[in-house]
Amino acid sequence: MKDLFVSLLGKPFGIVVFQLLEATQFTIYLSLIAFLGGGLIGVCVTAIRVSPMSWLRTVFAAYTWLFQSVPLLMLLFLLGLGMPRLFAIQVDPWFAAGLALTLYTSAYLSEVWRGAITSVPLGQHEGGRALGLAFAQIMILIILPQAFRLAIAPTVGFMVQIIKGTSLAYIIGFHDLMAIGKRWANSPVPGTQPFVIYPMMAMIYFSLCYPLSLWARHLEKRLGSTSSKGGAAAAA
Amino acid sequence: MFDLRFFEIYRNPEYLLLLGEGAAVSAFLTVIGGALGFVLATNLSALRHYKVPILAPIATIYVEFIRNTPLIVQMFFVAFGLPLLLGYQWPFWAHALLALSLNFSAYFAEILRAGLAGIGTGQSEAAAALGLPTWLGFSKILFPQAVAAMFPSLNSQFIFLFLTTGVISEIGVTDLTWAGLYIDSRSFRSFEVFFTLTVIYVLMALSFKALLGLAHDQLFKWKAVR
Repeated sequence: MKDLFVSLLGKPFGIVVFQLLEATQFTIYLSLIAFLGGGLIGVCVTAIRVSPMSWLRTVFAAYTWLFQSVPLLMLLFLLGLGMPRLFAIQVDPWFAAGLALTLYTSAYLSEVWRGAITSVPLGQHEGGRALGLAFAQIMILIILPQAFRLAIAPTVGFMVQIIKGTSLAYIIGFHDLMAIGKRWANSPVPGTQPFVIYPMMAMIYFSLCYPLSLWARHLEKRLGSTSSKGGAAAAA
Repeated sequence: MFDLRFFEIYRNPEYLLLLGEGAAVSAFLTVIGGALGFVLATNLSALRHYKVPILAPIATIYVEFIRNTPLIVQMFFVAFGLPLLLGYQWPFWAHALLALSLNFSAYFAEILRAGLAGIGTGQSEAAAALGLPTWLGFSKILFPQAVAAMFPSLNSQFIFLFLTTGVISEIGVTDLTWAGLYIDSRSFRSFEVFFTLTVIYVLMALSFKALLGLAHDQLFKWKAVR
């Protein structure tokens, strides 16, 4: 693979392209960590926020509000630079970046999912109760299938947000597409001038994000979304 | 094990001054960038709404490209790529302002497009029946309604974009994040510094939200009266 690029494009430039594509996999891995980790925590937060436990609901409403209001850059700084100082420990960039993006993702996804669940009309609950179903049964059989339909498009749309968010992880020493590209842009190698390398990086990010945007839009048309506002915010 | 010493940063007047200046720069560039972005977005959404040949597809490609690439890549291109290519050099803040305006415009344009699409065709027909030229019909009839309908979305998008502006410190703009990084490098109190910074960002976001809420009530009185 590497030899092909080198012979195809001339020595220095071929290596640049190869390294950018090689680094792209770390962008993808970090996005997947954030999405899966954030999804997992998000499910728990959503479950608590639609449960009947009122004080826990308030606590987790605060959790969601907090991680939605805090800039992602500050989360990265706090976990990547602040946490090591505070506890006098070494923190791996994978851990810090993964945790920051996971917390950020969990807050957004739980908000989207809670919105989807609460937008199912109350009559559906009453209908379930009239049939003599328990709370869990009402949720699993009636509410969640309808909520899923509304939540899927903004969830896919939010993945774009995560992929773009990973571009900040280089600030705490994570070696992703952004880090490698920035390093080349600062090198004197011909063909890696900033006006070449940044559009190339933008094209790589675009080719990761745009299919997801299109998919989200397609799903939104087919299945509907929590609201036009929710869709717009999630795709932001 | 915990060693929290906030007073070390708070007692140093140089640091406090730097944080204040940084917050002002962040707020200023965000507001101006947002305003310029909004003006650009108005034009982009008009091009797309009236399906102007050639320009409308270009506007669509532009909006999609900006929305699907990270701000930091756009900003580095604007700050380091374009000046090298075209042979000019502006101050850091001007590069940052350009990058922020372009970034804001794409998100606002997408929201405005949705707002315009939501207005019934009867409104355009009424404007035409009154003999208004297209641009007057747009600026006096369609656009105000689109903004009024989409104000909450524009508002939350603005707040969200404000929270992403910290990256302009990466090209050397002395904004709030830059102030934090500077204080961190001097005091080595990373957690305290970034915790303080986070609180300032959140408070600023809440202030923007409150101000935009007031602006909404003032701007769209006609909507409530009707």
